[in-house]
Amino acid sequence: MKTKKQSKAFGVLQRVGRAFMLPIAILPIAGLLLGVGSSFTNPATLESLGLSSVIYEGSILHTLLSLMANVGSAVFDNLALLFAVGVAIGMAKKEKEVAALAAVVSFLIMNTAISALIFARGGVDALPPNTTTVSLGITTLQTGVFGGIIVGLGVAYLHNRFYKIRLPQVISFFGGTRFVPIISALAYTLVGVLIFFVWPPIQRGISSLGQLVLESGYAGTWIYGIIERALIPFGLHHVFYVPFWQTELGGTAIIGSQVVQGAQNIFFAELAAGVDKFSVSATRFMSGKFPFMIFGLPAAAYAMYRAAKPEKRRAVGGLLLSAALTSALTGITEPIEFTFLFVAPLMYGIHCVLAGLSYMLMHILEVGVGMTFSGGLIDLTLFGVLQGNDRTNWVRIILVGIVYAVVYFLLFYLLIRKLGLKTPGREEDGEESRLYSRADYESARRGGNKGGKGGRGAHDFAVSALILSGLGGLDNLRELDCCATRLRVTVNDSSHISEASLRQSGASGVITSGNGVQVIYGPSVSVIKSALEDYIDAGAPPLGEAEDSENENVSPETDGKSQVMSGGATETLLLSPLGGTLVPLDKVGDEAFAIGALGEGIAIEPETDTLMSPCDGTVGVLFDTRHAVTVRTDTGLEILMHIGIDTVRLKGEGFSALVKPGQRVRAGDALIKFDLEKLKRSGYSATTPLTVTSEKGEIEVKTVRGGAVTVGQEILKVKTVN
Amino acid sequence: MRSFSYTVKDEVGIHARPAGLIAKKAKEYESAVTIEKDGRAVKATGLVAIMGLAVKKGDTVTVRVEGRDEDEAADALERLLREIL
Repeated sequence: MKTKKQSKAFGVLQRVGRAFMLPIAILPIAGLLLGVGSSFTNPATLESLGLSSVIYEGSILHTLLSLMANVGSAVFDNLALLFAVGVAIGMAKKEKEVAALAAVVSFLIMNTAISALIFARGGVDALPPNTTTVSLGITTLQTGVFGGIIVGLGVAYLHNRFYKIRLPQVISFFGGTRFVPIISALAYTLVGVLIFFVWPPIQRGISSLGQLVLESGYAGTWIYGIIERALIPFGLHHVFYVPFWQTELGGTAIIGSQVVQGAQNIFFAELAAGVDKFSVSATRFMSGKFPFMIFGLPAAAYAMYRAAKPEKRRAVGGLLLSAALTSALTGITEPIEFTFLFVAPLMYGIHCVLAGLSYMLMHILEVGVGMTFSGGLIDLTLFGVLQGNDRTNWVRIILVGIVYAVVYFLLFYLLIRKLGLKTPGREEDGEESRLYSRADYESARRGGNKGGKGGRGAHDFAVSALILSGLGGLDNLRELDCCATRLRVTVNDSSHISEASLRQSGASGVITSGNGVQVIYGPSVSVIKSALEDYIDAGAPPLGEAEDSENENVSPETDGKSQVMSGGATETLLLSPLGGTLVPLDKVGDEAFAIGALGEGIAIEPETDTLMSPCDGTVGVLFDTRHAVTVRTDTGLEILMHIGIDTVRLKGEGFSALVKPGQRVRAGDALIKFDLEKLKRSGYSATTPLTVTSEKGEIEVKTVRGGAVTVGQEILKVKTVN
Repeated sequence: MRSFSYTVKDEVGIHARPAGLIAKKAKEYESAVTIEKDGRAVKATGLVAIMGLAVKKGDTVTVRVEGRDEDEAADALERLLREIL
């Protein structure tokens, strides 16, 4: 029970973390524009570089650079709105564009409601200083990115709950997705009122907590660093560091005449204002990344390379080098961290402690280098080197970094060898290793080429086929998304996951928790995701000779058809006629079904409203009340589907037949459409039993799965013995 | 051979559930059981076949039982029909 709860919480947090990635993804480019633009319009920088005569106010170059700085700054100034929309899109299950619109409406309305109350209560002057701001022209309470996140999460919740709502006929125009902005607008009027009363005490609380963090000094910085690293394996680090970077928790500063909150915002405001020295109290939540991302982790990669068996070094070299380069250049560390996290968790623990220490050292050494996204060479150059050592002390990063490189190399090299850790290239012979998988991957690629699709497309198809089979096939997929480095997937049954296949497809790690699966690929994941989606849209064609085992998972050839086996026996796979949750027959609350009077089978608690044929066959009986139907297979099985319990009493109201008795149907053809909401509203159970009988002798019915099910998944296997 | 006729009083006729109960009862006996409406007879062991008769309120069905245990079977089925229909 507890673990179920935990994995549900993990699933939600995973989606929150994923939703944050969308607005966060724009920060590197905005930061680049702001960084370059404001660096080269800053008089101090220009002076020190001797460019004052080339770039001066009024010159074309200066105007262009100011434009870049302002454009980048626009993103940082409106982050709350971006988070509101981004989180709503990320968390919405379907019809995401509606959630986005509702988020914009809600954000405006919430702030306007707050604004109205501020002015009704004596205006801005009646509130403590620094607690208000102007957002999109609306004077409101300073809620920072939190305000945006509150809107995003709440709107997504309302959206997922109401986007399919049916309203009474007269006002049905406002039903469905149109209802979402309406209910969100109403809800956020109330939220605005609520925030007006609740937020000021929280503001005081957060600032005192921020104060505590700020006052806990170097130890506080160390702990911040450890926690931030330790959350990476769970993909939850965004949830933790974003408040420090973007809200009061990371500090409040007055720069120029502006009140700025959050470590990253402070840094960029200082960058724009051109301060003499960057506030270390803000950059201490950032600068610590540089030493271990540019120096430590690449050194660890080199240690793993040296520790690999000589004959395998060449093969693991490419992997380790690209992972090390990604970390050093962009500060995206997952590719390298996940090569040792799973095989040597101890090393990851040590890495966390050292990373925390790096933050603390940067704090002690007063290094004031900020970043847009993470601590790679690009950010170090833009926000350290280009800003000058006087303002940032960036040279100290290099000095600490060199020490870090040595420490990481020695610790990794010695511990891997002493403890016999199985980092890449150290697997026992005969053990499934990544080197072998790479070869498989190559052969899959060549196989794809033979298929005549050629080049890149065939390669992608092969990889996608591997991924899909690793995830348990198309039937097992429920949701597919990605963040900067991972494919984030929700599956129906995580026991169908094949880690070996996923690793063959190039993944450096797989994390499974409940129905949530994260597959780590590194920065190229968005391309992998798109290719996978294309592959799925193309109907997940089997790869032919390249991956024979694929056919079982991907091809629907055998589904819904009867296979004649030796000895005259037949076997039929029945597909789920509805999406929803599978329930055993004895739990449907109907005596006749429970005792098996209507045959053996299973029931579905439906979430979809069209009953599909579970197999190829002929429509047998279709009552004029249209609540039940039978399909007869050519092998003599009678499949009865009964929509809801006791629904014969509805006399056909809300049910419409899409087929006639005697009509041939194929597996997946629509049989009956019904009004699920109405059925539930009338107080009937919608549980739909599916039972099998045969007049041609004994049958054996086996359930193939339980729990959640989507339309067309295999649910029963029926054997006849003649 | 034993036979009896019965006029259905149940509001919704012989739908899935009663059909299932009849078929289950018919299978408990060795005797061959048929059920007939308007000159169309089907085996009473076939759930779907019974449903296919589309028996409604006010329709009269005739049940015929033939075999070693026809007496018990006919009595049991008649009781069942009275009870559920």
